[in-house]
Amino acid sequence: MSDIAAETPKRSSKLFSSFSLRDAGTLIGLIIIMAVFAALVPGFLFERNLINILQQSSINACIALGMTLVIISGGIDLSVGPTAAISAVLTAALLVTGVPVPVALLAGLGIGAFCGLVNGVLVAYVGLQPFIVTLGTLSTYRAIALIYTGGNPVLGVPQGFRSLFNGNVAGIPNSVIIVAVVAFAAWVLLKKTPIGEYLLAVGGNEEASYVAGVPIALTKITAYVISGVLAALASFILIGRLGAAEPILGNLWELDAIAAAAIGGASLMGGKGSIVGTILGAIILGAMRNGLTLMNVQAFYQLLATGLIILVAMMIDRATRGRG
Amino acid sequence: MTTTARLKFEGITKTFPSVKALSDATFSIKPGEVHALLGENGAGKSTLLRILSGVSRQTSGEFYVDGKLATFKNPEDARRAGIAMIHQELQQIPNLTVAQNMFLGHPLKTAGGLLVNRREQEKRAAAALAMIDPSIDPSTPIKNLKVAQRQIVEIARALLENAKIVAMDEPTSSLTPAEFESLAVIIEKMAASGVAIIYVSHKMDEVFRICHQGTVMRDGNVVGTVDLRTAAQSDVIAMMVGRELMHEEHNSFVKEDVRVEVRGLSSAVTHVRDVSFTVRRGEVVGIAGLVGSGRTELLRLLAGVDKIGSGEISIDGRALKLTNPRSAISAGIGLLPEERKREGIIPMRPVSLNMALPSLRKFAKVGVVRHSAVNTTAETLLKRVNLRPFQIDRPIKLFSGGNQQKAIIARWLAAGSEILLFDEPTRGIDVGAKSEIYHLIENLAAEGKSVIVVSSELPEVIRLSDRVIVMRNGRIAAQLERHELTEQTIVSHAVGDAEPNTLSSTQEHTHV
Repeated sequence: MSDIAAETPKRSSKLFSSFSLRDAGTLIGLIIIMAVFAALVPGFLFERNLINILQQSSINACIALGMTLVIISGGIDLSVGPTAAISAVLTAALLVTGVPVPVALLAGLGIGAFCGLVNGVLVAYVGLQPFIVTLGTLSTYRAIALIYTGGNPVLGVPQGFRSLFNGNVAGIPNSVIIVAVVAFAAWVLLKKTPIGEYLLAVGGNEEASYVAGVPIALTKITAYVISGVLAALASFILIGRLGAAEPILGNLWELDAIAAAAIGGASLMGGKGSIVGTILGAIILGAMRNGLTLMNVQAFYQLLATGLIILVAMMIDRATRGRG
Repeated sequence: MTTTARLKFEGITKTFPSVKALSDATFSIKPGEVHALLGENGAGKSTLLRILSGVSRQTSGEFYVDGKLATFKNPEDARRAGIAMIHQELQQIPNLTVAQNMFLGHPLKTAGGLLVNRREQEKRAAAALAMIDPSIDPSTPIKNLKVAQRQIVEIARALLENAKIVAMDEPTSSLTPAEFESLAVIIEKMAASGVAIIYVSHKMDEVFRICHQGTVMRDGNVVGTVDLRTAAQSDVIAMMVGRELMHEEHNSFVKEDVRVEVRGLSSAVTHVRDVSFTVRRGEVVGIAGLVGSGRTELLRLLAGVDKIGSGEISIDGRALKLTNPRSAISAGIGLLPEERKREGIIPMRPVSLNMALPSLRKFAKVGVVRHSAVNTTAETLLKRVNLRPFQIDRPIKLFSGGNQQKAIIARWLAAGSEILLFDEPTRGIDVGAKSEIYHLIENLAAEGKSVIVVSSELPEVIRLSDRVIVMRNGRIAAQLERHELTEQTIVSHAVGDAEPNTLSSTQEHTHV
């Protein structure tokens, strides 16, 4: 046994090994963007603004965490925005009729989970392609939210609920704390649990995973259900901030979430992705928007900048990964 | 004036990051010559053909077509130089018609190059097909044809292109004897018109029947070129196999008690029918048979990958209900799949986790995988299978085929599997790793595990097995005891000498 120990290559400390080279690259990207805005925008690096950036990134980060798990499993979830909308209008409607906050909350998360379950079952058992399934539910879920509300916003979300998601603890917004906790849980799931390894395996090689006894359907469904629940959670942050639930909320959320995951190193081919990277990716997008807004750059140009940053990030990723 | 060689290889070498697949291959082929390329799987034949057909490029060395240096950048260059490849695994597009497939990539045009002249294509395709099998209609979609007919389409395509060199990789693996006869006639005709033909086949009778010269390859080296019209078959086989590995003593560890009992097993999805056999503790049972005889499909049934139609599998007297690989794994069955890349490895994950994948729950405590436990087991087991380089955190895709195979073996050791199913365990891996895997299989048997090995390499089957099951057309053709094992007996049962028409081995021919 002693020679085994002698020949075992030294493993870096646990904390470091979970922070990959790819994540370091994303972090460097974030630092560069922060440095550029710090030079251009006075007050960009003030504590208050940094907290603003985190708060503004929190919704996208929350969605992107679920998206990352789905992408790792080899899928995609285009229906996150409408899922958020359904859960927002349902939760708000329950709250307005006086249902206790915890019950409304669970109902909202439950409907999010159900939306994810439908996606997962259609992908895993019916065998449809994830892109098509969630493209279909993107419209279906949106329609349900609109039909349910008659197209009108649900107003008058009670203060108790709002302060839960829009308040702060010691100056840190609750939304940031919630997303941080979710991110940690997602990290544990991916790095430390069998289901995390199954996600990576199924996305990496589904056929081999099946032969090796991985529960394929369960794994995929889990990813979509988590994505649905996190979409619901993200909608709570939004209605907490606005005090109302619009059936059209969450439009194009899926694209920002995919962008954050991709910038963070997730491969749309599946089998690869990073929780740390996704969070950094969401902050990069948030910091960009924050900085450009402070510079009074028009919305059109903000959109342009966001698009370019995604393309540049992907090209750097490709170039540094090398061949083979 | 001496005739220039139609094809001349000079020192062709191909190295991959971890293996030398082909080393200094030198030989030539004259116009009108039917030249056999002989050797076991992994000998380097396919690598050479891939280089010839422009699919991959040699690391060093050169080759000449009609005395002209060939520098193919892609398959299209090779095609233009008059080289036609007929692949063992047919590379056709199922939804297109026979004619469309035959003209794929360079269609006949009309209307100034704007439109495809389908009528003319079908006319020429029909003319080429008529030389072999006039019953094939050029306007039917390829997917409606039987495998043998699809093979004929490929050959007709080579005729159509007026190829100077036609390379055939196992062209008869799915042909009936009658179809082989017509192929032999075609080959003779093509050769008579000056075409050089490279013929790759494991069937020695066919090779001796139609080939003039033969180049024997072994482990990436050219052993020599022999005149097949005068050479003895046994000498050629000796050249092909001639490695000490195969002469190592077979060690037997068979115990009394029967561990696996299979009764009347039939597949719900393939042509495997009514298979019954037993495997004892410590026994290594080989499964031999032609490609398509149902060997792999039988293992897939036992491993829960394919759905069982009828019959029963029991382990230690307990009947199993296999619904998926998971249920087989929990019953103690582990499968080392034939296609390692597609069905074995998760390329980007570390070796350690590839090993632990089926048994992650064993390594988990309150739902959290203890990576330290995974690593401890990985260190012990990957050491045992002699993983090289010994880096358990490295993604498995960075290892050579042989080492990937070792990791998959370790996977089932980690899962505590008692019944191990090896499907072509040494395909495409180098001799050194081969020998290690043989020893591993022996060690497993010595520990009391039961092993079933499917292999196309007869010397391997004979080297490893205590008993051999020969399959033919999805059924067991014979069960041979150790003392009965010779290549001759195995082959004659696999081919079914007594009933020549059963040679056709795919299910399309056996209507059930």
